[in-house]
Amino acid sequence: MNTWLFIGKKLLEGIPLVLGVTLVSFMLMVHFGPDLTYSLLSKNASPEAINEIRSVLGYDQPFWQRYLHYLSELLRFDFGLSMVKDQPVSTMLQEAMPVSLLLMLPGFVLGNLLALVLASKAAQHRGQWQDKTIMAVAVMGMSISFLIVIIGFQLIFSSSYGLNWFPVRGWQVFDAEGHFSWLAYAKYVTVPTLAIVFVSLGYNTRFYRAVLVEELNKDHVTTARAFGHGPGAIQYKYMLKNALVPITTRVLFSIPLVVISGSLLIESYFGIPGIGMVTYDAIVAGDQPVLKAIVGLTAVLFVAVLTGAEILYRWFDPRIALK
Amino acid sequence: MVTHIKFTLIVLTALGLVACGQDDRSAYGTPTSSIINGTKIYRHSIDGKPTSLDPIKASTIYSNFLVVNIFDTLYSYKYLARPYQLKPNLAAAMPTISEDGLRYEIKLKTNARFHDHPAFDNGQGRAVVASDVVYSIKRSFDPKNNASGAWLWQGKIQGLDDWKTQGADYDVPVAGLQAIDDHTLVIQLTQAYPQLIYSLATGFSGIVPREVVAALGAEFGSKPIGSGPFYLDRFDSETAYLKKNPRFRSEPLDIYFEGFDEAKHGALGIQALHGLSPPFVDQLEINFIKETASRWQSFTKGNEIQYTTVPKDKQNTVLMSRNPIRLHPQITQNYHHSYGIEAGFVYHGFNMQDPTFGHASDPEQDAKNKALRCAIRQVHDWQQKNQAFYFGLGTVFPGIIPPSVPEYDPNLSRDSITTDVAAAKALLAAHGWQTEDLPVFEYHVNGSVLQKQFFEQLRGFLNQLGYPNNRIEYVPYPSFGNFNQAVKNRQVPFFFMGWTLDYPDAENTLQLFYGPNEAPGSNNFNYQNPAFDALFEQSSTMQPSPERTRLYQQMNQMVIDDCVVISGLSRNKIHLWHKNVITFPDREIVGGFHLRYVDVK
Repeated sequence: MNTWLFIGKKLLEGIPLVLGVTLVSFMLMVHFGPDLTYSLLSKNASPEAINEIRSVLGYDQPFWQRYLHYLSELLRFDFGLSMVKDQPVSTMLQEAMPVSLLLMLPGFVLGNLLALVLASKAAQHRGQWQDKTIMAVAVMGMSISFLIVIIGFQLIFSSSYGLNWFPVRGWQVFDAEGHFSWLAYAKYVTVPTLAIVFVSLGYNTRFYRAVLVEELNKDHVTTARAFGHGPGAIQYKYMLKNALVPITTRVLFSIPLVVISGSLLIESYFGIPGIGMVTYDAIVAGDQPVLKAIVGLTAVLFVAVLTGAEILYRWFDPRIALK
Repeated sequence: MVTHIKFTLIVLTALGLVACGQDDRSAYGTPTSSIINGTKIYRHSIDGKPTSLDPIKASTIYSNFLVVNIFDTLYSYKYLARPYQLKPNLAAAMPTISEDGLRYEIKLKTNARFHDHPAFDNGQGRAVVASDVVYSIKRSFDPKNNASGAWLWQGKIQGLDDWKTQGADYDVPVAGLQAIDDHTLVIQLTQAYPQLIYSLATGFSGIVPREVVAALGAEFGSKPIGSGPFYLDRFDSETAYLKKNPRFRSEPLDIYFEGFDEAKHGALGIQALHGLSPPFVDQLEINFIKETASRWQSFTKGNEIQYTTVPKDKQNTVLMSRNPIRLHPQITQNYHHSYGIEAGFVYHGFNMQDPTFGHASDPEQDAKNKALRCAIRQVHDWQQKNQAFYFGLGTVFPGIIPPSVPEYDPNLSRDSITTDVAAAKALLAAHGWQTEDLPVFEYHVNGSVLQKQFFEQLRGFLNQLGYPNNRIEYVPYPSFGNFNQAVKNRQVPFFFMGWTLDYPDAENTLQLFYGPNEAPGSNNFNYQNPAFDALFEQSSTMQPSPERTRLYQQMNQMVIDDCVVISGLSRNKIHLWHKNVITFPDREIVGGFHLRYVDVK
């Protein structure tokens, strides 16, 4: 099938998925989410005041009308104003998403690359001390709570009780003239990145090792060995390429979480104004416009990632296109 | 490879152990200068996040904290004087009040200007005039605005409630709210309202420019334009960045008028600011930090936040003794400090409309229910709660007039806060209560680990009374909104809440028990007592006087006698700030007013 046709077909198939996700999440938000009316209520409210607030919040409208309005907002990428902060939701997301991306990206990339290198090493020396050591460190990283890692790393690298090398909190990555400063960025992103790498390394290494070990026993690898290829060539030319399908799946499906969800814990402990905090505040407050935007965008992004992943599969393994 | 991994692990473990094993007081970062390239920057921290910065929605401490720095109010509180004392802010003087207490004439200062905004002619902020005050108060009554502060003036100002019902057209005048000229405001009340001036010192009364509100619509809450000492530069989920209003009116600080006391404030360096015009810092950063570990590390680092309240988990580090409060010498050597009681309190309340615990039409059952409430109150151990949850720093007081208001009676009997299990059991027995017929006790709260701990403690108290565990139920709600919804719908028989005073007058807590204020009004107890209501109505028009205080205390006694509430405890807060900062912080009733007087070295 023509690639463009394939993309079009996949995107069309994504529409019911987006509709399903948005419908279910909207239903949950409306029926089980916090009712903002009683949070906004003044100290000596009357029943009329309650009705006024419900009307301003749009709670008095029928469910389907509200859901259709939500879909139209999603189509226009305009979710109105935050009910809690009186700020356009699009502005909040535009400001917070790049911050989360800048915050999470180094940890995400390093965590995956390092894990691939370590997993290759472990797979190459399967059952030997190298493999055992790497797996032991991986399990250690997986076993320690993210919160403990954050507090511990902050204490060691940032606080005056430890090395005092990096800031405890903040995100002042623009200089006085408003230009992006790579130096300041490095200063603020280092400790969060270390924490992210420390925690993600274990999960990623174990997963990639399992994938690579499975490849190790395949016929084409044995054949390559028989042809006299060296371990490096076998590892990177024959094994890694074949393992790219599950690896791509894992990496790509993490992207919406990096872009949209950010990391609440990292952001709150390091005082970084990313999307994780915006999402958390919206959930706690019942700020539906923000939640609708985040849920809707996550669904759309997942569909895009799903389509992207399918295209990449065809590229990595042409047999998939033939099927 | 092994060597490298081992080396890295050993170094990390060693660093971790060294860092964690440090005495919390031993490694304070030296505060670095807060003047960067000639710009004075002060970094404050608060433990919660503001929501909208539109004054009419400033219902949280955190929003109010910012609002009073961006907007002007007619009145505010003296910087240093305690108990709190009102003073003119945008008003030129205290109001002229007619003899019957119904007409207030307020003169405005002539030199106040709004911050610049494109909605103004030439983009330059214009002068603040009396019609802006009229507009700003009307906004609270506009149903489209979702305002939270209308209760302050509801039924109090002539014609204002009618203005709302007639369509809230801003061009339609309100008889009781008139700008006589650009700098004279007249408020005509429906009945005497002694708390009116207090209401004009709350963030809700912040003065806004009509043309900017019209230009921005609801977005005004995130792009506020006022005439206060600072304007908002940026605002995100973690920090608000404010800058000095360069055209803020010149008002030299008179520290003696503001209540300077050499013994209390002498060591803080405030004298150096006498005669100078605030605001003193060029930039103000207000960091919203809930995580106590992160806040403490940022504070002790030296070049980040310069102020914190002492987090619960650091109180053992900071305090040498609790009664009296004494701080560790290393803390006092490194930081300035102050402490004070909160303007508010926490309490447990009964829903008096609940058939099991509240009023009953049958006098015998009514007496039985009252005995049950009183017995529960009698087994409640405030001292234990204070030790377990407030590090022994809370002030336990009887009734509903807390120590932070002038009407507080320190000599009031403490029987209602004294635990007496035997007497409680005897009371139950005397009214025919048997263990097997005790009703199910539901504890409704906004669910959290802390609230669960509160519940566990209360369950322990009830067990002492003979209450079986299977009749004590924990009913958590996913958010405060859901919990509040249940309270306002009168579905909650027993609740735990806190009240923050809006002004230093016991009327603000007594109105919580006034019959007509029943839910969804502020009377969450749904307490109905005609004698109480009569006294409340009588006192509500009285100016502060010994006679009014006597009435207040009578009402307080009624609430105690009826066992409507298990009250109360006011928390003490310890404030710490760097020695290169000149300030006297307080976020209680004065809100964030003190920030204009902060200076840094």
